[in-house]
Amino acid sequence: VTLRKLQEICCYEPAEPRKQQQQLDREYDEVDFNAEVCRCVLRTLTVKKSEPVGDRLVKFLGLFLKNASEKDNAIFANPDADTTDAFPETPTSRLTSEILSQALQVITAKDKVVRYRVTQIVAHIVNTLDSIDDELFQFVRLALMKRLRDKESIVRVQAVLGLGRLADENEDDQDNDDSDDDAGGVLDRLREALQHDPSADVRRALLLNLPFTPGTLPYLLERARDLDAATRRALYSRLLPALGDFRHLSLTHREKLLRWGMRDRDENVRKATARLFRERWIEDCAASHQTEGEEEEQEKAQQKSHEPNLDALLELLERIDVVNSGVEGGIAHEAMKEFWDGRPDYRDYISFEDPFFDTLTPESAFVARTFNQYCRQSKEVKLQSMLEDKMPEVTKFAFLLQRHLEALIKGVEKVALDPEDAEAEEETVQQEFCVEQMLHIALTLDYSDEMGRRKMFSIMRETLALAELPEECTRLIVEILRTVCADEQEFCSIVLEAVAEVHDTIMGDAGEKEAEDVDESFHSARSEQTDSTPTKASKRPQTATSETSQDDEDKAIREIMVNMKCLHIAQCMLQNVQCDLERNVHLVTMLNNLVVPAVRSQEAPIRERGLCCLGLCCMLSKNLANENLTLFLHCFSKGHEALQVIAIQIITDILTTQPSLLAPPPSTEEEETELPNPLLKPIYKMYSRGLRSEETQVQTTACTALSKLMLASTIRDPDLLKQLVLAYFDPETRSNPSLRQSLTYFLPVYCHSRRANAVSMARVAVPIMRALAERADDLDEEEEMVGMSMVAAQIADWTDPRKEAGFGEGKDSGAEDGHLVLAEELLEKVLTPGCTKEERKIFVTLLGKLHVNVNAPAEALQTIADLVNEAFEGKVASEVSTRNALT
Amino acid sequence: ALNAPASKRKEKEPFALDFAVPMSQALADALYTPASSTSIISLPKAQWKSKTRNLLPDDKHFNSRQLLRLFLKPKASMGSRKTGTS
Repeated sequence: VTLRKLQEICCYEPAEPRKQQQQLDREYDEVDFNAEVCRCVLRTLTVKKSEPVGDRLVKFLGLFLKNASEKDNAIFANPDADTTDAFPETPTSRLTSEILSQALQVITAKDKVVRYRVTQIVAHIVNTLDSIDDELFQFVRLALMKRLRDKESIVRVQAVLGLGRLADENEDDQDNDDSDDDAGGVLDRLREALQHDPSADVRRALLLNLPFTPGTLPYLLERARDLDAATRRALYSRLLPALGDFRHLSLTHREKLLRWGMRDRDENVRKATARLFRERWIEDCAASHQTEGEEEEQEKAQQKSHEPNLDALLELLERIDVVNSGVEGGIAHEAMKEFWDGRPDYRDYISFEDPFFDTLTPESAFVARTFNQYCRQSKEVKLQSMLEDKMPEVTKFAFLLQRHLEALIKGVEKVALDPEDAEAEEETVQQEFCVEQMLHIALTLDYSDEMGRRKMFSIMRETLALAELPEECTRLIVEILRTVCADEQEFCSIVLEAVAEVHDTIMGDAGEKEAEDVDESFHSARSEQTDSTPTKASKRPQTATSETSQDDEDKAIREIMVNMKCLHIAQCMLQNVQCDLERNVHLVTMLNNLVVPAVRSQEAPIRERGLCCLGLCCMLSKNLANENLTLFLHCFSKGHEALQVIAIQIITDILTTQPSLLAPPPSTEEEETELPNPLLKPIYKMYSRGLRSEETQVQTTACTALSKLMLASTIRDPDLLKQLVLAYFDPETRSNPSLRQSLTYFLPVYCHSRRANAVSMARVAVPIMRALAERADDLDEEEEMVGMSMVAAQIADWTDPRKEAGFGEGKDSGAEDGHLVLAEELLEKVLTPGCTKEERKIFVTLLGKLHVNVNAPAEALQTIADLVNEAFEGKVASEVSTRNALT
Repeated sequence: ALNAPASKRKEKEPFALDFAVPMSQALADALYTPASSTSIISLPKAQWKSKTRNLLPDDKHFNSRQLLRLFLKPKASMGSRKTGTS
């Protein structure tokens, strides 16, 4: 019998007679009919989930009940319109009740298929019908709640579908104030399941079926970080678009959702987020920026996108708080990249005609900057020429930039004069952001236009000498100067001139002061002097009596500020040069007059910045580096955390640029008796101590630093490798996800990039497993650790020669590889008397997973074969698995 | 009103369900064997709560760039490294 036939049975035999029955005055017995339908319903319960017929039957049943009850209601409503206020009892309602009670009887069946189908039917009825008998309703709710905790996720999904509707209704009831705590009960349980259900399908069903209320929203949005990618995608592609205007979400939510979605590990989630941003969120803004005339059309074009609108785009950026999310590395950059990518209409529409750069807001500046960046990075010639048409030419842009820089400096001065002025401060923050955006654009301009280049050069040169210039702008201006200067010599001399000027502007003031201090009668004059060149550092003495001590303090603060500012400029400059330090007279002067005194300073911030500069200098001179490595090592062992981080970074950078510093003293290679470089030991010790640091920052820095040097083969110490792996598995590093995630990246890359690395890993594998087993033995109660079999599997993966870069290309196939070495190490360990039973078990299982290359050197295979035989004789290993290792 | 099912096209699946035949014993068993205890058909209590609330840890977005750049000069790359052969 086909589906069609069974439907015929279902509707033409029992249903049609029933319909007639209503009109023809009980020609058939209603009781018989209901019994027959129930019997049929029961028949469907054993239909497996994979069978689409089952779903169709359920749908059919729902459709039938819905239609029938509508008809019933029509019949009953007409004659006694006055008396049917309450929900009328009709033949269909009686039938529904009967089906439901039948269903509830078998809903706890042992058979999971039956439970699935019953729950599905109940949920479906709940969702299709408007009303159900009150008493029965309570039972339905209870039964579904129990199924929410069913063992089978498919049953739980169905329970969710049914309860979602109930939670919705209960929510309404709560508003009407006539509900008891059952209402909250359903919702609470659903919310709990949304967080805790182990099955992603259930969580996804919940995500899409819970009502949107202030009570559920935080729970729903939290799913943006669900473990399951499909659930996350459902949130971005279905829930959020359905949620209505995104502006109702709080700023924190908007920012988090955007950041999580745009940077999701799953590409489809990222795509869904990009679409949400550029298609939904922008439209929400565009809708409110429509002109009067368009409003009528809006009704019609509800689903269609609105015309591009600059104000809408600016609002969108304001809504994601671009002053904060648009800083370097902020999420607004990714969002706008996707925006330009997916909205060619806005690309065509946008224009930077004259008033645009005159009246900048943070939002409009960001629009210009991201558009500029998008077009420049695009490989399409069309986009690049489009950008050229729209952007002002270099000279004009330089003038505009100059005007905004002046405004910024004025703002900074104003704030310095009156730190209480919140409005001025806010304005200056915004202006600073605008200027940064313009500087970013300036970095990408084409300076083959000599007029423009000169103009930009002189503006940058002048501005850099202003002590009021904020740090980020300083950094950008130094970079721009590097691009507009002909060579590094010129660049360095220009920047250092500016440093001297900054020094003079501020210290000149103080110098006068010092002279005045001798003659105390000049108090008032001095105060005015201070006012005439206000800086962040300048503070007018408050009273005459405390002036001397106040002055000393002021002077000290001013000195620190000057030094910090000068060192910052120097640091920015050093980041942009590559020449040999000793050949650049400007740099040598700077090193001696600015950096060296700073390193010796008593003030911690100055010393730190001085060290950074010294480190940067060391990268430009091997001699200097060699002289100072011990100094940096000393900073690590004696310094506080911040200094330790800096020390690790500097030393690592130096070793990266000059790996030969670690070479053995008389460098004739492959001479066993040769002494190792005396620096090796303290440097290894530093990394080792860093890895074990309590401070996550230090730990992470040491780990990343070591990763770099090991990848570059500058450091090959097996003990440090071992420590990295131990740190990876240690339960204590769970609280340091940066460390874990960087090792997740590094370890396989390290092992699979070079055969020698995989072999090193294989050599330390046994001690690692031993150490971890011991670690697992004395775990604290709270701690959780991965099982040893997981560790073994990881090691097998890392050392797998088949995963090596360039495997199968025929290169060095004759050499020993990771698994070969690992096999040998494991076998030897198994044969030692000290090997415990558990260890042996893990090792032997691991042996079974190793891949032995057919091209492996014969002697290595022979060694392993001998070891295996020995193992047989000693009867230490299960023979089958060991033998497998060799096949 | 009930013609929706009738308009459905013929089914290709060989799956059949005969509503006319009386209930088989197997079917009755499946239907009327209740689970001996609720615990058998329910989720073990240990799985009611998930420590992580089934959420991902915070992504740190570690990538190769972080291994290939200098700490102090993020713009300068470390240059080409030798890779491959041992």
